[in-house]
Amino acid sequence: MSSSYLLRRVGYGLLLMLGVVVLNFLLIRLAPGDPAVVIAGEMGGATEEMLESIREEYGLNKPVLVQLWIYVAGVAQGNLGESFFFNQPVAKLIADRIGPTILLVVTAQLMSIALGVFLGVLAARKPNGVMSAFVSVFATIGYAVPVFWTGIMLIILFASSFPIFPVEGMQSVKLRDAAWYVQTADVLHHLILPAFTLAIIYLAQYARLSRASMLEVLGSDYIRTARAKGAPEKSVLFKHALRNAALPILTVAGLQFGNLISGALLVETVFNWPGMGRLAFDSILRRDYPTIMGVLFFASAMVVVANILTDISYRWADPRLRGKS
Amino acid sequence: MTALLEIEDLKVTFNTRYGQVTALDGVSLHVNAGETLGVVGESGCGKSITALATMGLIPMPPGRIAGGSIRLSGEELVGANPSRLRALRGADIAMIFQEPMTSLNPVFTVGDQIAEAIMLHQKVSPDQAFKDAVALLDRVGIPSPDARARDYPHQLSGGMRQRVMIAMAVSCRPKVLIADEPTTALDVTVQAQIFDLLNEIQRDFGAAIILITHDMGAISEMADRVAVMYAGRVIEEAGADDVLDHPQHPYSRGLIDCIPALGREDHALKEIPGVVPPLHLLGDGCAFADRCEHANDRCRREKPLLAAHGHHPAACHGVEEGRI
Ligand SMILES: Nc1ncnc2c1ncn2[C@@H]1O[C@H](COP(=O)(O)OP(=O)(O)OP(=O)(O)O)[C@@H](O)[C@H]1O
Ligand SMILES: [Mg+2]
Repeated sequence: MSSSYLLRRVGYGLLLMLGVVVLNFLLIRLAPGDPAVVIAGEMGGATEEMLESIREEYGLNKPVLVQLWIYVAGVAQGNLGESFFFNQPVAKLIADRIGPTILLVVTAQLMSIALGVFLGVLAARKPNGVMSAFVSVFATIGYAVPVFWTGIMLIILFASSFPIFPVEGMQSVKLRDAAWYVQTADVLHHLILPAFTLAIIYLAQYARLSRASMLEVLGSDYIRTARAKGAPEKSVLFKHALRNAALPILTVAGLQFGNLISGALLVETVFNWPGMGRLAFDSILRRDYPTIMGVLFFASAMVVVANILTDISYRWADPRLRGKS
Repeated sequence: MTALLEIEDLKVTFNTRYGQVTALDGVSLHVNAGETLGVVGESGCGKSITALATMGLIPMPPGRIAGGSIRLSGEELVGANPSRLRALRGADIAMIFQEPMTSLNPVFTVGDQIAEAIMLHQKVSPDQAFKDAVALLDRVGIPSPDARARDYPHQLSGGMRQRVMIAMAVSCRPKVLIADEPTTALDVTVQAQIFDLLNEIQRDFGAAIILITHDMGAISEMADRVAVMYAGRVIEEAGADDVLDHPQHPYSRGLIDCIPALGREDHALKEIPGVVPPLHLLGDGCAFADRCEHANDRCRREKPLLAAHGHHPAACHGVEEGRI
């Protein structure tokens, strides 16, 4: 892969982030009323001195373009403003919570792709078989059922009937001082239900998509060539066919990542997962604008990074795309 | 002496939306070690299906081997267990396909694809297999084989890809090499090179070749014996010169008349009028009757069998009755 290509992709990503920052800026300026009041979060409790200090910090008495410049420069230096609800810089609020969110989202993404593709491949092997029918039904259900409902059902199931997975939080209080590997295992244990809840919608989609993609690929001439060499069926499916069937799956995986992050907002709320989604939810209810903007900024950054990774994996999967832009 | 590969009374059916059709209706062929058997016939007459059946690669469903026998060095392949067939495929019987552009996997380098074929049947390290692959690429006349081995198929021309396919097919020194129209998709100069290459390969490796083609010119250059197929049957079989010089069946005559002769006065290409009837419309009579100027009532009623009446075996009532 050419590094100039990578550089260009990163450049586009930064440009996109700049767009997000400008939108964030406009969001506040276009909200009705005094921006200082809006930024203070309409807490009612904002004193005149507080508003004055906000006007000072954001340069609200200066021309709009200067305001924009001050804001963008601030963000570039890692200053996302101050949450007047938490009385903390937004950057710190997010830094404390982005880890759990990344853990949840990435686990859900990997889980849905791995399981979905596996089911899809099995289904494609016998297009009229039981597995194929199961995938179709499962895909429809998985797609139709809202994520919070799945979450609540799983909580009910595992909180009372089969209490084998924790249904709340990310760590057990009593294990706070345990060895690191005990803590890690504890976090993974807590991770299973929320990650599965988040994964299930996409899992169903990937299963259906990879079934269709595999069926198409399995009819191609090079698959016949692989069989003519005497390659065993497992290698025909998982090596020769899957690598070729992966392209549409990767495309969708990249596109879905943004949806996955907004899904995480709900799942974190349902499972009380201490991530950014929970923070976003709370700050929306409180109209804590600086925090909302910070969350938006970081969610966009995650999507941008995911898209760059998708592009790279695309080129890994299909050599025909290498050396082209 | 039994032949190296013997196909006897092979019957292959397909389930289609017109119901079950018989794609191969009692095909018998054989090829001896070191020999080249040409199989000719128009599109759709069952050449590829015969080849795929021999490889154990008929898609089932919709296909089914409804009867007959395929024996390699006396070993029965019809109904043999899949792992035994896998062990033979690529090792003892190999095949070169009609479509060089699409027969290589686009996401692996050609060197890796050849090395894979080697490693499936021989106990060698990946490094050694790759070196062998480079040597094979050199053998099939690919310039700078070391660099080309690291190329992906889309970086090679059609002729180069077909050479790669040949290298892959001969990588384990198969006893039988089936070449299914190896040059149809290539331009004329490249065609001649590929045929030369196949001849050399046969000399070096001693493989029996089944050369499937539409091209009577290729037959005259390559084949020792020829089987002419029509609508899922072999309708004439003999030494290549016999068939070319004394074609018996009117269909074979038609095919030979289609060869554009150099320096011939009339430059218009001849062709056999009509088309091969679709499989689901085959009746009881000779499948060629509707296109044959010699056809009579018996031809339309009763299927002719392959038997020696004239110069050599042909399946034609007219030849049997001495009318043709
Ligand atoms: N999967 C299939 N389903 C139904 N019929 C099939 C299938 N594959 C092949 N056939 C039929 O079998 C017959 C023989 O096909 P085959 O591919 O062997 O022809 P061919 O002689 O190789 O022709 P060509 O010169 O075009 O390659 C054709 O009539 C075709 O319609
Ligand atoms: Mg064919």
